[in-house]
Amino acid sequence: MDPKVNGQLQHDWGWLIAAYLFLGGVGGGAYTIAALNSFMGASMELSTTIGLWIGFPALLIGTLFLIADLGSPTRAFLAGMRPGTSWIARGTWIISAFMVLSFVHLVLRQFTDVGTTAGGQTAINIIAIAGVVCAIGTMAYTGILLSASKGIPFWRSGVVPVVFVVSALVTGHFAIMLGMTLSGVTHTTVETLRTMALEAMGMVVLEVLAIVFFLQAAFRQPDPRESAERILRKRMFVFGYFVLGLAVPVILMRVVYNSTPESGVGGIAAVAVIGAVLGLVGGLILRQAVLICGALPTLNIAGFEFRRIHRAKEPKPGIGTLPPQ
Amino acid sequence: MPRYGMVIDLKRCYGCYACSMACKTANHTPPGVFWARVLMGEVGTYPNAVRQALPVLCMQCDEPSCLEVCPTGATQQRDDGIVIVDQDKCMGCKYCVMACPYGARYSVEKWESYFPDGLPLSPLEEFQKKSWEEKSGVGKATKCDFCLDRIDDGKQPACVQACPAKARIFGVHDDPESEVTILIKKERGQVLNPEFGNKPKVYYLFPR
Ligand code: SF4
Ligand code: SF4
Ligand code: SF4
Repeated sequence: MDPKVNGQLQHDWGWLIAAYLFLGGVGGGAYTIAALNSFMGASMELSTTIGLWIGFPALLIGTLFLIADLGSPTRAFLAGMRPGTSWIARGTWIISAFMVLSFVHLVLRQFTDVGTTAGGQTAINIIAIAGVVCAIGTMAYTGILLSASKGIPFWRSGVVPVVFVVSALVTGHFAIMLGMTLSGVTHTTVETLRTMALEAMGMVVLEVLAIVFFLQAAFRQPDPRESAERILRKRMFVFGYFVLGLAVPVILMRVVYNSTPESGVGGIAAVAVIGAVLGLVGGLILRQAVLICGALPTLNIAGFEFRRIHRAKEPKPGIGTLPPQ
Repeated sequence: MPRYGMVIDLKRCYGCYACSMACKTANHTPPGVFWARVLMGEVGTYPNAVRQALPVLCMQCDEPSCLEVCPTGATQQRDDGIVIVDQDKCMGCKYCVMACPYGARYSVEKWESYFPDGLPLSPLEEFQKKSWEEKSGVGKATKCDFCLDRIDDGKQPACVQACPAKARIFGVHDDPESEVTILIKKERGQVLNPEFGNKPKVYYLFPR
């Protein structure tokens, strides 16, 4: 038991929670874009349809990931009991409301002809606006959940929710683009793809700004700094997220934006798919890296600083090993 | 109602880990779980360097951040100030583990043997595992509860009783006559990282 370990890492939240935060972000982002595009007229029609088809299922699967992470999943129904102080409880209510709205929106738009009447369209619009409010709440919640954790100084920053909201919009965008290309690219969808590629580029730039601001703020205090140094030492974060998840998609989006239907529909679709998939994987890596680099604070009293006992799996000593036969 | 607290005299503590072991023995905590931990700190440079041991446990905070974040209401504070987890309500989300700045909480889903190479659990481990699962459940959040069962029987917490240096003193905070209150006052006891704002009820006496 060697107590001299710098900044013990948390190891209770891993991939399952990263996937939950990621899918909550994708669902919220895709729905927001879909709902906003539904006010843009016929040219963005397809993106609305695809976005609605992504939003609800992403949330549902994300919630299943959370439940899978619970130590006692049968108690999941208790998750909303204390919304007064707990962000998981608040998030449970926000996501539940959002799931209902996105589901109703999807059903009304795709499976009924309510939208053909003026009154029906107004109702759908109201649902869309309420849905966007809940979607923004969901995207922000995935970040606030972390920033409200007193035990992990790295997460305790108001920038985390900003990073997660921007990243949610980026991944939502990529998810819609992926859905659009996979459902078949025609000459008309190329135009929509180009618009979305332009928007995606702009938002990735915002994400880079947000993440740089987050990391440089972390570098200013000793405890978060340790996590920030760790995250920058992770190849998964630097190459997987920064290079493959942000830089390469931006270049590919640029290619999509510069193309015309004449440059070959199949080629454009391939470039868009690769860019979107890389961007999505990048979003998942971001969340996973932020989670696993969360280190506990240094305890101190009267000038003495005490690091924590390393809780990670240490090689077990040889006691009890049977002698070789 | 008495509000329980503890004083740990760092002048007396020599870092023997007896409290860690006593806690594990009394509460049958699984491998890797230390409700009573001992951290080591250093200040200064040779020849004026000092090494200091710091025993830590759940601080039974007056404003517990673990309780604040618990979505199910499983984490509760009793009238005597002890923060407990109601095993019938905890869903194992581990948010409280992230919220405790003193690192006092653990959540264990699988009991692994103390012995290497996949050896089966020894009879003692089997017994400990069973008793742990009965008391704390599987996959729930757990933490030091100031040895509730022992206090109810009129005994001292296991770590206090085991400390060979008498560095740990357990008692009540709201009685001006109690040893805890007198020591904190006389020796100007401090809490760990007061900036967390959790108002811990474990105080430390520091060499000055
Ligand atoms: S030390 Fe941690 S677990 Fe104990 S009461 Fe305070 S916040 Fe809760
Ligand atoms: S793990 Fe249990 S005690 Fe901790 S916050 Fe979740 S429900 Fe509450
Ligand atoms: S008071 Fe009891 S449960 Fe808490 S650290 Fe001491 S021995 Fe362990």
